[in-house]
Amino acid sequence: MISISQVTKAYRGAPRAALDNVSLEIDKGEFVFLVGTSGSGKSSLMRMILREDMPTSGSIHVLGENLVGIPSRRVPHFRRKLGVVFQDFRLLPNKTAAQNVAFSLEVIGKSAGFIAEAVPDVLRLVGLEEKANSLPSELSGGEQQRIALARAIVNKPAILLADEPTGNLDPATSEGIMALLERINLSGTTIVMATHDVGIVNRGRRRVVELSQGKIVRDERSSGYGLDR
Amino acid sequence: MRFSFVFSEMGIAIRRNLSMIVSVILVTFISLTFVGTAGLLQQQIGSMKTYWYDKAQVAIYLCTKTSPQEICPQGEASQDVQGTITERLDSATLAPYIDKYYFENHQQAFETFQKEFKDNSVAKYVTPEQLNETFWVNLKDPNQAPIIIESFNGLAGVEEVKDQRTYLDQIFSMLNIASLAAISIAGLMLFSAVLLISTTIRLSAVMRRREIGIMRLVGASNFYIQLPFILEGVVAGVIGSLLSGAAIVGIVQFFVQGFLASQLPFTTFVGLGDALALLPGLVLVGAGLAAIAAATSIRRYLRV
Repeated sequence: MISISQVTKAYRGAPRAALDNVSLEIDKGEFVFLVGTSGSGKSSLMRMILREDMPTSGSIHVLGENLVGIPSRRVPHFRRKLGVVFQDFRLLPNKTAAQNVAFSLEVIGKSAGFIAEAVPDVLRLVGLEEKANSLPSELSGGEQQRIALARAIVNKPAILLADEPTGNLDPATSEGIMALLERINLSGTTIVMATHDVGIVNRGRRRVVELSQGKIVRDERSSGYGLDR
Repeated sequence: MRFSFVFSEMGIAIRRNLSMIVSVILVTFISLTFVGTAGLLQQQIGSMKTYWYDKAQVAIYLCTKTSPQEICPQGEASQDVQGTITERLDSATLAPYIDKYYFENHQQAFETFQKEFKDNSVAKYVTPEQLNETFWVNLKDPNQAPIIIESFNGLAGVEEVKDQRTYLDQIFSMLNIASLAAISIAGLMLFSAVLLISTTIRLSAVMRRREIGIMRLVGASNFYIQLPFILEGVVAGVIGSLLSGAAIVGIVQFFVQGFLASQLPFTTFVGLGDALALLPGLVLVGAGLAAIAAATSIRRYLRV
């Protein structure tokens, strides 16, 4: 599903490589925590999987696409098979919850009929159908992240990338988001989640990949954040 | 592709960016009005040239008593001179080039002069003897005037051989300079219009960077992302060019046909048809430049 092989990414002017000979296989339906300190390379890795960035060397295959060789005009179509959420939600402030979700379908040319059906469905899935007409400013952080999740999964992506999705949320709200992510995972979506949240990783007992200074220093099935943390 | 969505996005962009859009419309409008005016002026020059060049004659002025001594040492041209000239004009060498010619004596020249300078005080002081007797020659091809000039220049009793087109050429070269000036101003204005459009579109893109970010993330195609911005520029360009078209039609209708044509009744002027014929070109230039400027600027913005 995701196959990263000997990937090195060196940014110009940086003293060391952001990613240093990283190899990683993620299978369909997996839930993987990506942990590590800031600057360890988590975000770089996520950007590579989204093909927002290209490795300096090595190869990346995601959903059968060779991301090093893919022509740039095919990139949009590739990204439609992925969902992404971020720490800062990235909702459009002047659109309602439902319009935010609909927007992501409109811009990939889905029909009005499809949108009219898919948007309420996904809002129900994230438990916010009654907030469909609220603006992001009228929603709590947790609710905003649910809307962002709804937007990420409304097109039924095979992979969901979550870059510190609970970074701005209190522990109780984070648990709600985690429960939602697990439900999404159970429906067959592969999830890669970068996080700093020790509690969430420890409770999850999922596969944990730890990065440090651009290298994978640990890759364990059903593990915690770190033995000494 | 959902056009309703693209157009509603474009509408939002235009509303948010209204003052810039208005300035783009105005600059496009003014610059294309200059382009159109220059075009009309060229057409005017063209039609005046064909009209006047056909009428232009070569004048063979004969010496008078008052002609300068160094050119006409023998004073008033004699009957013999007239005979020589008539002979030459009728000869096999020159006749093929000549459509027709006629002779104007002192009295006829005086009458014409009195008519043309009716309101001018100079008319009172001129006597028939001061005015040249003249052979007026109409050529089949006005471009062949030098043949006549060479044949008669320097002939004893001939004061001067003058191609009337040399006067016309001065007028036309002035009109040409005016239309060149209009074109240069138009060029500068169009250049600033292009810069203004790029800036406007980039501003519009910055204002909508969240939307663009999300569009890229969810896999909207580049074309779909760029289209509202390009259309935004094109709409402004088309409105500006339509306004300039209206201005040019107005200039022709009210200034040229309404005012100039009544002031100068014997001149053919450009008409509404000429102005309307320019319109598609203006819209094409306006829309095309706007599209190119907007597309280049949005591409460069999105690449970063």
